[in-house]
Amino acid sequence: MRKRATTLLLAFALIPGVGAYAREPLENEPPSFPPPSAPTPDPVAFVVPAGVYYVTDTYVADVVATRDATTTYSTTTIHESTGTYARVIDTVDTGASSTFDGRAFNGRGELTDGRSLAGTYYENFVLTANGYVPVSIVFFQDDSETRGRDSSSSPPPATAKPATTSVPVVAATALPRGAGPAPSSRPRTPTPPAAPALRAGVALAPDGPILVSAEVLRGRLVHFWPRAFANDAPVSIRGWRLLSARPDYVSADTGTTEPFAAQWIRMPAPDVRWSLRFEIFTNVAPTERLEAQITVTVRSPALID
Amino acid sequence: MTQDEGGTAAVTTIVMLPLLLIVLAGVLELGAVRAVAYRAGAAADLATIVAVNDQDQTELARTGTLRLAADAADTARDYFARNLSATAPALAVSVTEIAASADIASFPSAPSLDQRTGVRYDRPTVRLIASVPVRTPGFAMLFMPTVTMITIRAASSAR
Repeated sequence: MRKRATTLLLAFALIPGVGAYAREPLENEPPSFPPPSAPTPDPVAFVVPAGVYYVTDTYVADVVATRDATTTYSTTTIHESTGTYARVIDTVDTGASSTFDGRAFNGRGELTDGRSLAGTYYENFVLTANGYVPVSIVFFQDDSETRGRDSSSSPPPATAKPATTSVPVVAATALPRGAGPAPSSRPRTPTPPAAPALRAGVALAPDGPILVSAEVLRGRLVHFWPRAFANDAPVSIRGWRLLSARPDYVSADTGTTEPFAAQWIRMPAPDVRWSLRFEIFTNVAPTERLEAQITVTVRSPALID
Repeated sequence: MTQDEGGTAAVTTIVMLPLLLIVLAGVLELGAVRAVAYRAGAAADLATIVAVNDQDQTELARTGTLRLAADAADTARDYFARNLSATAPALAVSVTEIAASADIASFPSAPSLDQRTGVRYDRPTVRLIASVPVRTPGFAMLFMPTVTMITIRAASSAR
């Protein structure tokens, strides 16, 4: 009896000293999460030049028209969006000099007495991934002069009409002088630029129309093209992102110029439609968020009784 | 059994045996025809299903609606011939001839009305009606034609 008690006591005394052989499950396995990377610097601020606006009317040509004794110097434009931007950089009166003289691709004309024309200088930009890049300068002449009956007398002072309150819109497209339409005696009445009306939608072709719904076959890969328009003119997409639920297969949740490819493998319940909703950013208004949506009905071949 | 009864049974058997064989042959031949008709029907079903499983991509991009591909009827005819080839030994003419003579109509957009059958389709549909001549030599014992014509119908739509 005493031996058994001694043995038990000895056993209890040794139990705490016995090492436990166990395995730490994650001891030799790589961490499931990547190590934290060094913080990346903040992106460079996107600088938007002051006064820049989207071009909706493009420079065509300088026009000199004479009616009776009055000669009008104006500029013709065409209503067209080329995807560029512009801003006013200087407004000059008749005969006044400007730091931009000689830098405009269309030059700055003169009155018959040799004085420089009044008008406005515009700087044109294109929007790149690095921001607004200046590409050219254009001069919009806006002047007139009236000759007296007696040509021998000194020329009367020209009447300068700089466009200080109204801002015509221009584009980087440089056309040769005189390449425009026939001069018109009607003075130009520039219109102030308005913020472009933006809208977005989804098409099933790169240049296809915007669709609100589509019927697709199960198992077929369908390409959806997020599109955007400024004043009904198509503009390039800066990026898109899928907001709604994902179909069975998608090419990506985000993209830029490439389409969104999707495939439905499983048939949805009868009378159930998919709704694809996208968030779209354009190059015209990089900070403006647009949304586009298309409803998709998935169909599959079946026998008719 | 007496000797007279045994003779009666033998005579009865001799008389009835040919009749039983004829009936048996007819039943077997009828079963074979039904089997061929079933397989030809399946061939037509599959052909129309394949035909409606392709849509006009231009129309899809333009309007978003499902319109059958322009070659849907040709696709159905082609696949009908391919699917029938497994049944070719039982047929009286070639599968190509059967497929060529089949009345296959494509209704690429909906709704549409099938002038032949009077059926109105709510979805783009391909319809196939074909006459399939089947060899039936067993029917010759019954003084019936050795070729039996069966008519099959199939229609599929994307639903």
